[in-house]
Amino acid sequence: MSDQKTPRKSAFGEVKGHIDALATGFKYFVDPHRMTLDYPAEAMELPKNYRGFFRLVDEKCIGCSLCEIVCPSNAIVMMQLPVAQSPAPQAGAQAPARPGPKVKKRPVVDWGMCIFCYFCVDVCPTEAFEPSSIHDLSYFEESEYRPTFEGFLKLPESPSKNSKKVVAKLDEKNGIKYEEKGDKE
Amino acid sequence: MMTFLYFIPNSWLPLLESAFYALIFPGFVAILLLAFFIIWFERKAAARVQMRYGPLWVSKRTGGIIQLLADMIRFSFQEFIIPQGADFIPFVFLPGLLLAFSVLPTVFIPIGPDYSHIFPSNYSLLLAVAFTLVIPVYLVALGWAADNKFSFIGALREAYLLVSYEVPFILAVASAFLLYGSLDLVKIVGIQEGTLPGIILNPLAAIVYIIAVIRATGRVPYDIVEADSELVFGPYTEYSSLMFGFVMGVPYIELYSYSLLFSVLFLSGWAPVTGIGFLGGLILPGIVTFVKSVIVMCFLVFLRAVYPRYKLDKAVRAGWSWVFYLALAALLLSAVVSRVLW
Amino acid sequence: MTQEIKTVPFTYEVLSQLEMKEGILELQIGPAHAGSGHMRVLAWVEGDTVVKVDPDVGFVHRGVEKLSEDRLYIKAIPMVERPSLVDTVNANLGYVIALERLLGLEPPPRAQYIRVITAEISRIMSHLYGIAIYGIFMGSSTVFMWAVADREPFIDLLQELTGARVTYSHIIPGGVRWDLPKDFADKVEVALRYLENRMKDYEKVWINNPVVMARSMGVGKLSAQDATRLGVVGPNLRASGVEYDVRKNDPYAAYADFDFEIPTFKEGDSYSRLLIRVEEIKQSMSIIRQALKRLPEGKVIYEDYYKRMSPLMKEIYDKTGRVKFTLMLTSLSPPKGEAISRVEGGRGEMFYYLVSDGGKNPYRFRLVTPSFRNLPYFTHVMPGHKLADIPVIYGSIDYFPPEADR
Repeated sequence: MSDQKTPRKSAFGEVKGHIDALATGFKYFVDPHRMTLDYPAEAMELPKNYRGFFRLVDEKCIGCSLCEIVCPSNAIVMMQLPVAQSPAPQAGAQAPARPGPKVKKRPVVDWGMCIFCYFCVDVCPTEAFEPSSIHDLSYFEESEYRPTFEGFLKLPESPSKNSKKVVAKLDEKNGIKYEEKGDKE
Repeated sequence: MMTFLYFIPNSWLPLLESAFYALIFPGFVAILLLAFFIIWFERKAAARVQMRYGPLWVSKRTGGIIQLLADMIRFSFQEFIIPQGADFIPFVFLPGLLLAFSVLPTVFIPIGPDYSHIFPSNYSLLLAVAFTLVIPVYLVALGWAADNKFSFIGALREAYLLVSYEVPFILAVASAFLLYGSLDLVKIVGIQEGTLPGIILNPLAAIVYIIAVIRATGRVPYDIVEADSELVFGPYTEYSSLMFGFVMGVPYIELYSYSLLFSVLFLSGWAPVTGIGFLGGLILPGIVTFVKSVIVMCFLVFLRAVYPRYKLDKAVRAGWSWVFYLALAALLLSAVVSRVLW
Repeated sequence: MTQEIKTVPFTYEVLSQLEMKEGILELQIGPAHAGSGHMRVLAWVEGDTVVKVDPDVGFVHRGVEKLSEDRLYIKAIPMVERPSLVDTVNANLGYVIALERLLGLEPPPRAQYIRVITAEISRIMSHLYGIAIYGIFMGSSTVFMWAVADREPFIDLLQELTGARVTYSHIIPGGVRWDLPKDFADKVEVALRYLENRMKDYEKVWINNPVVMARSMGVGKLSAQDATRLGVVGPNLRASGVEYDVRKNDPYAAYADFDFEIPTFKEGDSYSRLLIRVEEIKQSMSIIRQALKRLPEGKVIYEDYYKRMSPLMKEIYDKTGRVKFTLMLTSLSPPKGEAISRVEGGRGEMFYYLVSDGGKNPYRFRLVTPSFRNLPYFTHVMPGHKLADIPVIYGSIDYFPPEADR
């Protein structure tokens, strides 16, 4: 148990409180510690593990539907895609023992429903989702939120692609400052 | 005299001077520009303290100083909604009247020693104070006319505060009168030039005056009437479009006239600069007075960055207790000082 | 200047008659009002005195409980975070603990420590948000901007750990999803020292500001007896002088290992509710420092889950510290039974109740949030105060409408 005491009020304390408050306000007026980011002109360089838009790597996907099962917002739908028929076996080569499946199942995300929890990325047994830190994206029409399978194979373009990349640097005294990204990385 | 205006007949000159005084400086145009500046400064100063930039994107090179112009343009294209239950005539015309009456006190406040040519008056202090005190009455009517519960409560709060802070305000002005022994503001500045600024002669009166001004113009911590987290926007809740722009500008113009009066009463007006004629007796000293009152205004709007809002009953109690006692002490101090000095 | 305010006895019979009385003004504060949040506060005032307050909740009901009943257990994790968006880690933690109790598994100690660290960072952010809301309700935009800006270093910390800014979904049954990065401890230390420096300025501008004192001292008093009777929780309860904290009274995660105090105040007014948040931030800082110093080595996921990972998953975990979900984790089906858990969230005790019928979805999920339990402040404390005290009391209890509505 630690019983705290509230400060007492007194006439002297009140005058001192006013002076302290005004002085502190004035201190910040003279020496502001601005923390805002001039967003479209400069954009934050996000950490590598930032949960942004992701894409499907078609070659790695085995169509197991685990991502569809685990998606908390039911944003992932497995599509049935016709498999391109392999070219006719050349003369002399051995014919495959068993014809491959006619359709393959591939996930497609509805970005309007996705909550970027990355359960799908973490559940994928073959790491078939390629994450990115692109996050600042929106669309004009509702239909654009649902990419086609081909659209889901490539990452969307970030609107802040051309802006100056900065990193947030925290200082004990002055708070967050945004510094231009150095070349050391 | 105005030698550069040689082509104008001499008999027209006083009229021209008055027109210049009323329309350009320190009248209409100066007030408009100042309102722009002070609203910008208020937002910028608060933003600096609050770790952000404030208005910036409207004109990035000038630090967003024309933000208010952009807002005004936006307001002017909005629909002006008149609530069904509102009293049509007061609701529509009171903002204009408020604006007019908030500008009016500046007519009686001299900005230079040669001012007596334009508006000769032995009672300019009395007139200026009288006209500043008219505004709250219109504000109460405005809150009643809008037929909104929040407007109504805001108007009632205004009425309560009006009663409690007008007395200290008048006492502060009375102690200034007692100190200088004159109601003529030109003479008052002359006395301060001869001795010391009023803020040193009677600091108590200056403090009471400042507190009353914060109250009268609704600056933080006394923005009890507008109180956005309690009463949306107080008496102005129902206003939209350009009318909202009007009522929003009123407190700032009020602030201007109060600060002008403060710099004349307590900061010795145009003190170091003095002369005669239009330029030497009006414009140059006028700039000094103007700058002094702008500094006072900047201080008053800066309080937004530091204080939260006071409470109505506490404010009224303060108005009748320690502010009132302070005002009485100021009166006493004035009597003593004037006895000692002259 | 402080005056003792007498609380009007509150009974609906008396006050429903008052409604009909002449001179009573009914005010609808909200749902679209600067001082209401996502709710409506119906207030009846007589003159300037509030005679009755009726909080009208439910505007942002999300249906977490019902929605979880037709979803897999793991799918409810992002969902339980949604109601209290400024305190997501604690919300997540409570659900996972209930689920772990149902499953009968104990996460490894390193995971427990990481849970404590993130939960305390979340508590600091939640308290800063509470201070911010209190500031804006009392008309000080400066404190609002400051406190919201000072959440940023902590958001950045958790962003680096989890890759998200608000909804981390970091805690899963059996452990956590990401191990701490290498230089995490140093970064946390910088952020904590920054907040310590800033707290000095908060004290000058806000806490010791005479206007704040005049406005909040003696306002919204709730005695310790009434507070326990009405069942309020969290910092508000402790501000009334009741020493009750789930972290101490029913330790979960690794809280039993740490040495910290429960600050209490005797007054129980709005001002002590502000001070208690400041004191708790200091305690949270001490817990985070202890946890980082004594952080045990080992896995961050339940041993059995690790064993069942495929070689690729194990490789990813060993290399980056990222936990891949095994099939078992995805489709949990706990044995028939029920489990409860309690955690101390930023606003108070969060209560979770899970019933399993042996299937893959919860049979019943119940979530009791602290904001809902703090509603008596509206109905029982506000009457008798002035109209201008409504936002002060509202702000001081750190009420978060979506959390109450769930």
